[in-house]
Amino acid sequence: MGEIRLRAHRLSRSFRGQTVVDDVNLAVPAGRVHALVGLNGAGKTTLLRLLLAMLRPDGGTAYIDGHDVKDADKGVWRQVGHLIEHPFVYPELDAQTNLAVAAKLRGVPRAAIPGFVDESMSLWVIERYADRRARVLSAGNLWRLGLAAALIHRPEIIVLDEPTNALDPAGIILLREYLLRRAGSGAAVLVSSHHLDEVARVADRITVINRGRAIGTLDPGTAGIERAFFELVHADDEQEARP
Amino acid sequence: MTLAPAIWVETCKLVASRVVRSTAGLLVGGVGLLAASLTAAAAAGNQQVLAQLGPLASADGWTRFVGVAIQITAAAGLLAFGVVLSWATGREFTDGTISGLFALPVTKAILLTAKLMVFLVWTAAVAVALLAVVTAVGFALGLGLPDRPAVAALGRLAVLTLLSGLLAVPAAWAATIGRGLLPGIASTVITIVLAQVAVVAGGGAWFPIAAPALWASDPSAVSALQLVGVAVVPLLFGVLAARAWSRLQLDR
Repeated sequence: MGEIRLRAHRLSRSFRGQTVVDDVNLAVPAGRVHALVGLNGAGKTTLLRLLLAMLRPDGGTAYIDGHDVKDADKGVWRQVGHLIEHPFVYPELDAQTNLAVAAKLRGVPRAAIPGFVDESMSLWVIERYADRRARVLSAGNLWRLGLAAALIHRPEIIVLDEPTNALDPAGIILLREYLLRRAGSGAAVLVSSHHLDEVARVADRITVINRGRAIGTLDPGTAGIERAFFELVHADDEQEARP
Repeated sequence: MTLAPAIWVETCKLVASRVVRSTAGLLVGGVGLLAASLTAAAAAGNQQVLAQLGPLASADGWTRFVGVAIQITAAAGLLAFGVVLSWATGREFTDGTISGLFALPVTKAILLTAKLMVFLVWTAAVAVALLAVVTAVGFALGLGLPDRPAVAALGRLAVLTLLSGLLAVPAAWAATIGRGLLPGIASTVITIVLAQVAVVAGGGAWFPIAAPALWASDPSAVSALQLVGVAVVPLLFGVLAARAWSRLQLDR
């Protein structure tokens, strides 16, 4: 197993008295795809936000390459690519300007930006939309553009929240192949999803999140992964319901 | 990281924005058109317009025309700049792009600073455009060459426009705290109302948000110290907005 790039240590967070993430431990090593699965509202997105310093935890610590994210420097963040909830796309800008903006903010040197933009548009098959404003793109192409923007700087740590939601089947295959290729070259990948079949195709490790807690793991090779998932969730729910 | 990448990004967004273009066009064109209409109506002896112009009613030529333009700019400028700065800041929340501004090599305080800097440069460009349009309209109205007091008044019009941009900075803070455009626009409307109240109450010159308009209309009514005091507003709210961005969480 590679070195741990992304780690949650006893992370907890509440909103208005309701615990949304509860004492979660997680470690994502280099070269692996780690999936978080859970029902809607299980706390997956909040956990990802805590790992990326979008939220401050009530308890515990999030680490990237051993640095507490609350005071991680630009060298740490330059290695991270993420897409959480909304694509980082400005509707008034055309696709290639959106990608140039993303590259610029992610520390790509100015001279290298045109090459990165071209490579990214080719990778996500959105070249034909290069000069079109993002506001006129379909939801699927907007999502591809969002993925391209998040990953344009070839990050070594990739965090994606429900990345297949708006993608068409071709886009899902593009993403799957991209993640496997990047993990194969050493990137640490953390994705959240509620599409168990898709997760099983890419993940090396699957953590089940329920009511804010990591309640167990699933083997991606398991034939009845859906059944195994619901058994874990129901067992946890029953345990919670006991007096 | 330096400010340069963030400034480049903010410039791209501002230049491509319809909100920004249309607001600038409405302000520059609207001030020129309204000032020309009111001046023409006053010259034709329209009593209702003359009553609204106050002391300017007894003036004529460039003095009355530029004076009217200053009165319109005092309110419309602040509103227009407040709308644009509310958009520049609040749209990150309403468009959902704010999450993409986390976990970057460039800090959020730098991003906010870049927004303010690009906005202020744009404000200066609008001030130049407004000056050019008002001057051109003055010539078109057949007012002839402006005399020295008229040139000074045109200069004050440009400075008033720039200062109105500075006075709109609270909108950036309000849009951040309120996570959207409307709180920023509301804060601008409140600023305009407070300025009017301060003027009516007689303490306008010491009130930073009222001083620029009073000075532009009558330079003797506002001291240099009172005018410099205007800087308190953008400095205070600029720091507050940068602090709010620095401490931002996606918790609502």
